[in-house]
Amino acid sequence: MPEVKSIFREVLPKQGQLSMEDVPTMVLCKPKLLPLKSVTLEKLEKMQMEAQEAVKQQELAMKEQLQ
Amino acid sequence: MEVTMDPLFLAWSYFRRRKLQQCSDICTKILQDNPYDQAAWSLKTRALTEMVYIDEIEVDQEGIAEMMLDESSIAQVARPGTSLRLPGTCHGGGPTPAVRPMTQSGRPITGFVRPSTQSGRPGTMEQAIKTPRTASTARPVTASSGRFIRLGTASMLTNPEGPFINLSRLNLAKYSQKPNLSRTLFEYIFHHENDVKNALDLAAQATEHAQFKDWWWKVQLGKCYYRLGLYREAEKQFRSALNHQEMVDTYLYLAKVYQRMDQPITALSLFKQGLDHFPGEVTLLTGIARIHEEMNNISSATEYYKDVLKQDNTHVEAIACIGSNHFYTDQPEIALRFYRRLLQMGVYNCQLYNNLGLCCFYAQQYDMTLSSFERALALVANDEEQADVWYNIGHVAVGIGDLTLAYQCFKLTLAFNNDHAEAYNNLAVLELRKGHIEQSKAFLQTAASLAPHMYEPHFNLSILSEKLGDLQSSYSAAQKSEDAFPEHVDTQQLLKQLRQHFAVL
Repeated sequence: MPEVKSIFREVLPKQGQLSMEDVPTMVLCKPKLLPLKSVTLEKLEKMQMEAQEAVKQQELAMKEQLQ
Repeated sequence: MEVTMDPLFLAWSYFRRRKLQQCSDICTKILQDNPYDQAAWSLKTRALTEMVYIDEIEVDQEGIAEMMLDESSIAQVARPGTSLRLPGTCHGGGPTPAVRPMTQSGRPITGFVRPSTQSGRPGTMEQAIKTPRTASTARPVTASSGRFIRLGTASMLTNPEGPFINLSRLNLAKYSQKPNLSRTLFEYIFHHENDVKNALDLAAQATEHAQFKDWWWKVQLGKCYYRLGLYREAEKQFRSALNHQEMVDTYLYLAKVYQRMDQPITALSLFKQGLDHFPGEVTLLTGIARIHEEMNNISSATEYYKDVLKQDNTHVEAIACIGSNHFYTDQPEIALRFYRRLLQMGVYNCQLYNNLGLCCFYAQQYDMTLSSFERALALVANDEEQADVWYNIGHVAVGIGDLTLAYQCFKLTLAFNNDHAEAYNNLAVLELRKGHIEQSKAFLQTAASLAPHMYEPHFNLSILSEKLGDLQSSYSAAQKSEDAFPEHVDTQQLLKQLRQHFAVL
């Protein structure tokens, strides 16, 4: 750490100073952390998918029977 | 001469090793030879139940009917901090929507999702139909009983010749007298057939037979009442069961009843009572943490999840929730450590690699970022997950300044999920940078209509309209943005500017 402390003086130039404007910029939606699924939820999803598959298979089988 | 194992013993061995289909097949054969074999009947019943058994404590999906026609609320408007359905009224314990994405109900997205994670109370019927409620599909559940009936039919599909036990011809009174068989029969009716009425009948008769001294039957009665929506009766049964025998599960069921009746404070005090009897019990601590999270009290939730980890440092839910909280409070390195721990434990799915990729990027470990995302893409299970991963890759692209890549990533997101509101919003921002004003406006309007709870599309639309000179739409969009996120300073400045402008006119 330096021994000599320097006092910062603000420098405001009298010439060539531009005006400052706070322009509202567009915001992006934030990055999304994906929530992890619980064991129960995965089992439920699996059962739902299997049930849907089974229904599809049965429908296919019935269609083939009719044809 | 061949010495074979006794078939019943073999079936029992299969059951123990969870080879349930084989167990069931052997039992069917035994029953064909001897239809009165109680042991085989009982074992087959248990095998069939185990095939579809889901831990009843976790399951809590609410259907539209339950949500819209709810009669258990006492007051019109709950006092702040006492309701699970008005999360915004609680003292904010965490990051604002400026940093953390929100769900439909105004709650920040959590690190862990279970079947009972509420999607919030939709105000109107239209909103209720729009909100996705099921685990995998976006089709809403009409009522919980409806879903359970569908699960019941699913199990009937596995026995195309007809159900194993024909409930309409069953003499429940006879079975309720036999304690050996009645319990397995109850579980079969409740879980496999999902016939709550008959299950309730059986449980009532069995309780009578046990002279109202058996805690197990009281808990089952409570579960039946819960399924039927009779929450006060369920509460009575669970309390009575607790008087006979303190069990952790009973506490959990009772807390579920209180949560459904929207009494989180009662549930919290119940959990504390449970912790007196079962100090350090992980499931009770998790329950407390979940309630705090649902009430938007992130700091308390984190504290309780840390307590959970002190007891069980492999608890996936606690690790995931603390990790996501750290990420959204600007500490991605710590979040990275938590997600790495999950990886060490052997969790291996798309969500974890996606989160690892994001944490690596924001923690400036750029070597790991893209390979994590590649793994995540390789592990996706469905289109929505793929859309989300591409969305996050788009964010990484924006971060490194590669706007072409970002544009492509967001387009891919939309290809996999046409309703991804965040991607529409970000595409609009990119289009505006290129100067395509009309396209940008179209994207923003789509995003705003898809996700009215997000403030970003409304705010962006407001700015865009103001630049174009359409002050009226700018004002209405800014108001919607303020509704979604009242503390947003830029929105307030914009509104002030517009109001001044209108006052001058």
